[in-house]
Amino acid sequence: MSPQCSAIETSIRQLIVNGKSKTALDNAKDFHKKQGSAVSEALLVDAYLARIQALSDQNLAVEAAALIALVRERFPSAKARLDVLNATASAHRGDLNELLRPLTDPGLSPERRASIEQVIQNRVTNLAALAACAVLPPEHALRQAAAAIDKAFAAVTSGPVTDEQIALTEVSHRSPLAPWKLLIRAIAFFYRNDDLSCEQCLGAIRSESAPARLVHAMRAMLAPKPATHLNAAEAALVAHTGVGLAELRAALVKLDQAFAHGEEPGRTLQAVRGAVRECRQGAPDLLTRLKQLIGVKAEVAGLDLERTVVALDGAPRRDANFFRDLAQTLEHTGDVEDLVLACERWDYFRDEATRERWFAGDGLEVAALYLHMAGILGRIPPGLLDELRTATGKASDEKYFLNRGKLFERACRIDPHPDSFAKWLESARENSIAEAEGVAHAWIRTLPAAVEPLLFLMEQAEKRNAFPKALGYLDQAERIDGVNPAVRTARLRLLVAGAFLQLQKKKPHLAAQKLAEIGTLPQARQGDRPAVAAVLQFLIRVAAGENPNHSEARLEAERAFGDSVAAAILLTGCAEMAKVAGVRVPFPRDFTAEQRAALPGSMARVIAVVKDIGFSQKFQVFVPYIEETETQLPLVGDSLSVDALRALGEMGINTERLQLAWNATVSGLERRGATEAYFVLLRAKALAQGFGDRRRVLLATAMQLGRTHHDLDVSSQAVEIWRQLYDEDPMPLTADQAREVLRQEIASPWLPSPSSRPGPNYAKLFPDLFDDGLCLCPDCRRRRGEVDDPEDYSDLDPGEMERQFYERAPSEIPPDMLPFLFEATKQSFLEGGSVDEIISRILGGRGGRKKKGRRR
Amino acid sequence: MGANEILGVAANAGEEEIRAAYLSKVKEFPPDRSPAEFEKIRDAYDTLRDPRRRARAMFVSTESNPPLVSLIEGRAMRRIFAGPKLWHEVLKNK
Repeated sequence: MSPQCSAIETSIRQLIVNGKSKTALDNAKDFHKKQGSAVSEALLVDAYLARIQALSDQNLAVEAAALIALVRERFPSAKARLDVLNATASAHRGDLNELLRPLTDPGLSPERRASIEQVIQNRVTNLAALAACAVLPPEHALRQAAAAIDKAFAAVTSGPVTDEQIALTEVSHRSPLAPWKLLIRAIAFFYRNDDLSCEQCLGAIRSESAPARLVHAMRAMLAPKPATHLNAAEAALVAHTGVGLAELRAALVKLDQAFAHGEEPGRTLQAVRGAVRECRQGAPDLLTRLKQLIGVKAEVAGLDLERTVVALDGAPRRDANFFRDLAQTLEHTGDVEDLVLACERWDYFRDEATRERWFAGDGLEVAALYLHMAGILGRIPPGLLDELRTATGKASDEKYFLNRGKLFERACRIDPHPDSFAKWLESARENSIAEAEGVAHAWIRTLPAAVEPLLFLMEQAEKRNAFPKALGYLDQAERIDGVNPAVRTARLRLLVAGAFLQLQKKKPHLAAQKLAEIGTLPQARQGDRPAVAAVLQFLIRVAAGENPNHSEARLEAERAFGDSVAAAILLTGCAEMAKVAGVRVPFPRDFTAEQRAALPGSMARVIAVVKDIGFSQKFQVFVPYIEETETQLPLVGDSLSVDALRALGEMGINTERLQLAWNATVSGLERRGATEAYFVLLRAKALAQGFGDRRRVLLATAMQLGRTHHDLDVSSQAVEIWRQLYDEDPMPLTADQAREVLRQEIASPWLPSPSSRPGPNYAKLFPDLFDDGLCLCPDCRRRRGEVDDPEDYSDLDPGEMERQFYERAPSEIPPDMLPFLFEATKQSFLEGGSVDEIISRILGGRGGRKKKGRRR
Repeated sequence: MGANEILGVAANAGEEEIRAAYLSKVKEFPPDRSPAEFEKIRDAYDTLRDPRRRARAMFVSTESNPPLVSLIEGRAMRRIFAGPKLWHEVLKNK
């Protein structure tokens, strides 16, 4: 064959493959007319067969049959192939006899059988006809399989089926009908809402098989959005097997908006009717739940109950779910009075849930519910709760759910858990100590091995100076948990406190008994604690009449400390506590230079041991020692330990010696490391009034550095102070910002005051905090001309007043005088005087105009 | 989303039901393929298998007064049994 002929033949075969059977046939006819060869005849027959197949596929059975007859007449050699085509066309018309008859022939070649089975697999969709085909015996496997599949198909498309119903054991995996098994399983998974398994089955169906004709439509059913490119039959199937929720969604959105915007009741109820109607249509299984949710919203919105029930077409089911939703919603309306209603609804819920067997009436769930209700009541101001309890007008027993104590009591009775008792105790403490002690006793009765209530009772007895009773509780606690740190430290503390009390009562012999007991405790011999025992010994002797200033015991105290300055600090403080008079100690001016330099370190030791034993709240340091410590600290701060700096800083805050606390931060911050967060926080506390912006920056920095160094105590303290001061969430800082603040703070060692050098300017670092980048310090505000009337204090808050005072105080006034002068000025101002007037009165000569009638 | 919603069990589900839901979810979101989702599922299971925590979860709402439209979230459409006829039509006309 010439290359040209070969090219023509190739192009015709390509047309056949591409489904262009009509063009292929026309070209093949021309080609055969010109060539008249065996090759061209074979090509023409192929083209005819392709055309017949195409006509058959298009349901043009008559045209296909006519063409078969024509080809059969002209090309007898194609008889076998035409027989298959003819049978296929017949099968397409519903007549399977011609297709299946050869299967009864014992001499049927394997090739012919395979071609027939291929047609069955890919073309036969009428399984009922196949099952009933008379040319095959009734027991033929094909008929049996077709009947089983037809039955399963009808079942799976008509209602829920069991796995047994669609097992189809009659259909072997080699059967030409095997793909139907996958289709039927896919349909079953579809109706079971198991979309994943459904898709897996669809993917396994052979794409050329007859059941694959449903794959496209089924994938459209699985898709969340409506599919495109569906033919009419597919579209009808998709439409009738699923009801979309678009209308219901729109109705619910409309109703949500009506509730959210508080629309007038008529419109809201109209939206309710619409939502119920659409739900009944699109999701009837959700109707009960929807009516409950609408019922809850309607009740909270205050809609008329009867009209709501009419709009809902029946009252919502008031079961446990309903009351749970209602109570939860009432909890979060923001109206305090709704909290009482929420508790009442939770009580309804408890009743219903018990009835519906959610849980037993004495189950853990009920205990948890009581605790939850008690938590809700804790959000109501106590006075208001009393009023609301009265307003409900029910008998006391009926409104137990409005009594936190009763709720806790019930919860602890059902589930005696330490956490529940701890919450109950905490709640009772808010009412009265007597009530709290009652709770502690109930706790001990229920859980005799609990240490916490014993420690609470011990502390309360200690506060009342009832030391024998406190020690009695401690004895019990020690028997239960002697290694508990709180228990271990308590005995020494109680004995020391008892000794001080006896000294105050002028009963040194009883104090001596306590001291003897202290001497038996191993913990009393640790660290600097022996010094405290020695000081007590000294005070007992003095109280018994010994000369306080020539006592051997006094020397013993100094020896115990190894530090005469520390002993003097401890002696003065303890003598003051014990009310023992006549103890003389040297003033700082009597110290040597070395002793003065050692004073901060000695002070830190005393503060530490007093705190360690637990009587720091009543211990007072001789003021001249504090003043000298404040003076010496900047000179020797570098030589002190971080713990000593912390002790001194805390003492500065507690005694309101802010300069001392500040000086501790100067040395503390220079150490860097993990404690820098602590010292930044200390600096924030040490800032005087009127430096609020810097305090904010320091608190935010302490929070960030605390997180960086995993010092949660510092972070949480900073957050707490921020919330107390500013009643808002803290300002977040980046790690870089915190580092920059730290750098600037280390470079600013002066306690800021209007008369000192200004501190760091954080306006550029935190433009939002500083009013769009403008610094709010007095100097900057004055430069911007914002302080128009320097005497106009009428709108100032006390902090701002203080800042303005310091800003304008004459430089010749000694800094120590300024706080007193400020108080006097404030008093004068409140009585109608002016800042200048009071200053001039103090200094003599400086005067100013007097403003009258300015009173707040 | 609360622990019950994560595991897809009712507020009053029992221990067996919770365990079955957990195993089913783990199968769907194994830790090697969906670590974040698995973490949530694990936390939810830890909450619900502890009787006290499960009891607390029953009363604490993750979203109070949720919009009504959330009721149908995750639902595409309701599936209806339409009988074999419409299915056969697709088979015949393809």
